[in-house]
Amino acid sequence: MTDVNDVHESTPEEDVEIETTRRELIRRAGVGIAVIATAGMGAKTAVAGAPKYTGRELKETLRIVQWSHFVPAYDKWFDNVYVKRWGAANDTEVIVDHINVNDIPARAAAEVAAQSGHDLFFFLSPPAAYEDQVIDHKEIVQAVTRKRGKIGDLAFRSTYNPRTKKYFAFSDNYVPDPANYRTDLWGEVGIKPTSWDNVLRAAPKLKAMGNPVGIGMSNELDSNMALMALMMCFGGFIQNDKNRVVLNSKGTREALKFAKALYEQGMSNEIFAWTPASNNQAMVAGRLSFAMNAISITRTAELVNPDLANKIELLPIPAGPNGRIGLEHVMGCYVIWKFAKNKRLAKKFLADLETKYIGAFENSKFYNFPSWPNSVSNITRRLERDPVAKPAAKYKVLGEIAEKYTKNVGYPGTSNAGIDEMFNKFLIPQMFAEVAQGKRTPDDAARTYDRQIREIFQKWRDLGKV
Amino acid sequence: MPTRRRRESVLTYAVVGPFALVLAFPFYWMLWTALKTDGDLYNTENNPFGFAQGSPTLDNVRFLFEQTDYLRWLGNTALVGAVVVLITLAIALPAGYALARLSGRWGQSLGVGIFLVYLVPPTLLFLPLSRLIAELGLQDSLWALVLVYPSFTIPFATWLLMGFFKTIPRELEDAALVDGASRIRSLLHVVFPISLPGILTVVIFSFSLCVNEFVYALAFITQSSSKTISTGIYTELIRGDVFFWGALMAATLIPSIPLALLYNTFLDRFIAGFTGGAFR
Repeated sequence: MTDVNDVHESTPEEDVEIETTRRELIRRAGVGIAVIATAGMGAKTAVAGAPKYTGRELKETLRIVQWSHFVPAYDKWFDNVYVKRWGAANDTEVIVDHINVNDIPARAAAEVAAQSGHDLFFFLSPPAAYEDQVIDHKEIVQAVTRKRGKIGDLAFRSTYNPRTKKYFAFSDNYVPDPANYRTDLWGEVGIKPTSWDNVLRAAPKLKAMGNPVGIGMSNELDSNMALMALMMCFGGFIQNDKNRVVLNSKGTREALKFAKALYEQGMSNEIFAWTPASNNQAMVAGRLSFAMNAISITRTAELVNPDLANKIELLPIPAGPNGRIGLEHVMGCYVIWKFAKNKRLAKKFLADLETKYIGAFENSKFYNFPSWPNSVSNITRRLERDPVAKPAAKYKVLGEIAEKYTKNVGYPGTSNAGIDEMFNKFLIPQMFAEVAQGKRTPDDAARTYDRQIREIFQKWRDLGKV
Repeated sequence: MPTRRRRESVLTYAVVGPFALVLAFPFYWMLWTALKTDGDLYNTENNPFGFAQGSPTLDNVRFLFEQTDYLRWLGNTALVGAVVVLITLAIALPAGYALARLSGRWGQSLGVGIFLVYLVPPTLLFLPLSRLIAELGLQDSLWALVLVYPSFTIPFATWLLMGFFKTIPRELEDAALVDGASRIRSLLHVVFPISLPGILTVVIFSFSLCVNEFVYALAFITQSSSKTISTGIYTELIRGDVFFWGALMAATLIPSIPLALLYNTFLDRFIAGFTGGAFR
């Protein structure tokens, strides 16, 4: 900033000098621009162009787009080890592009609008709304099933449309969603967050200690998952097992009342403006005492604050009056667009990936669980032996959570286009936020959002998708 | 008199000082965060304005240059910005001049109409443009951005230059014409040199718009080697739930320094360019 002021305060004599310097600067900048522009003319893509395969030209090309995995090691393994090996074995150059988690919907919309794009597109939630744009992935499901047995119920309910009898996506993985809590802080309070009732009892004390509970009520992924799961623990469901909307129920109203009380007594108003990263950051900074999130919290803490990581434990979702019903945190779903150029290889890639999922499971540091339970053997033993975990076997509970408490979005029905649209419009977090902020009563909110979701479902029902 | 001057000076600094501090603070914060280790950054017991737990460090900068395509993103951004600026000038200069000299309601209405085009948000346009880019075979190519970015730089530049050209007395051109210069020659040797502040404003502003643009860069390019700064940083340094704060701050600070210097070097001309047509 000193430079800035110096320029402003210059004397007329100095101005003459500056004038000369400016001319020189313009001249040099012009030459620089010309050089850069000329250098870029020849290359198709960039200053130096995309790196070309140096060996023999591979016969085919497969293009994949997926999120930048929160574990950088996973992307390194996937891009540089797995994909290279698979490509060499299948005489194919595999190009993997990475995008930010928040940009997946926009990129998908752009590819569909252009009717052109990648051969494999990766979503983080079941993309049922794109059913008409994708192939039936049944063939891949059958190929994996022949080698690894039955598809997991979670993946089946997340990718199969019983109305159209079509697999609108292929799920390679899902991510369990544990409760993360600070053992030291909860120890001081003398309570363990095994039930929502316990969470509410402890929350005021934790907040008074400067470590509130953190469950987002914002338009973002983590809020969506945590609040829908909380609702189910109280007996509130978005739809029933026949995919009929049943949001306006006693269970939903009870969940809303509970969340309002929890917010007022044990949370802070930052939760209304959270992004998916906010609970991570607040927990890793030592501020939060409790959060619902995948293991990205503990894995990050292990890297940046190991002492704190040792104090963060994992538990299944707290039990409510309706029991303990959780959701996956992320449902990894690949789709093959109808307009994909290399459908044959895309199918083979997915079948091969899932059949030998151990590499993905381990390189994601147990973030990615296989959608076919038999694709990775001895999951519990592998979780127990995590070399970084303190206390030891900290991640063992993930196996229990995956097996018993992980349901699909839209449970007890299937993940469908109505659920997909409602999910991407973040209607459930909005409903909770309005009640917590006192803008609506629980009765009014349940009724209003039930009506909105019914309208969404009706639209998709009319289109024959629900 | 000196006392009065001093008082004015003190008053000026009293007004401008807080603004300068507020505006400089993000840069200071970026620099400090870029030099911190994650352990230092995430520990709330540490003094946020000091260093601890291995800080200061250049690890974040090293990570940026060694583990990502950062240099390439910088190069791509410079290339796109430079070409777009040239295209913008080539079209907006004659367009702005023609509109400025078009007398009557038509010139004014056309000027306003062109500016309104600038206000159409990219979030509305990226879907139909995706189709166009695909039809042209420009997906994942920087030339997609070179083609699309002028759609928002040209309207703004034309409107700005139009206002600026209006401030130039017509008599100067007439004199050149009387002396035997052609219309083109009078433009090149009389009008454009006088309009340098306006042209510089267009160059800097158009370049900044290209550097900041996000939606088109996201929709048209996914290949890491072809990304520009705005999407490259966002994709590679924010992974799911995890932000690589140190590297993020270093990555945003580095390109902001030359831009800030450029703005400040030409500040007086920049202001003249923006306000050139304001009082007419």
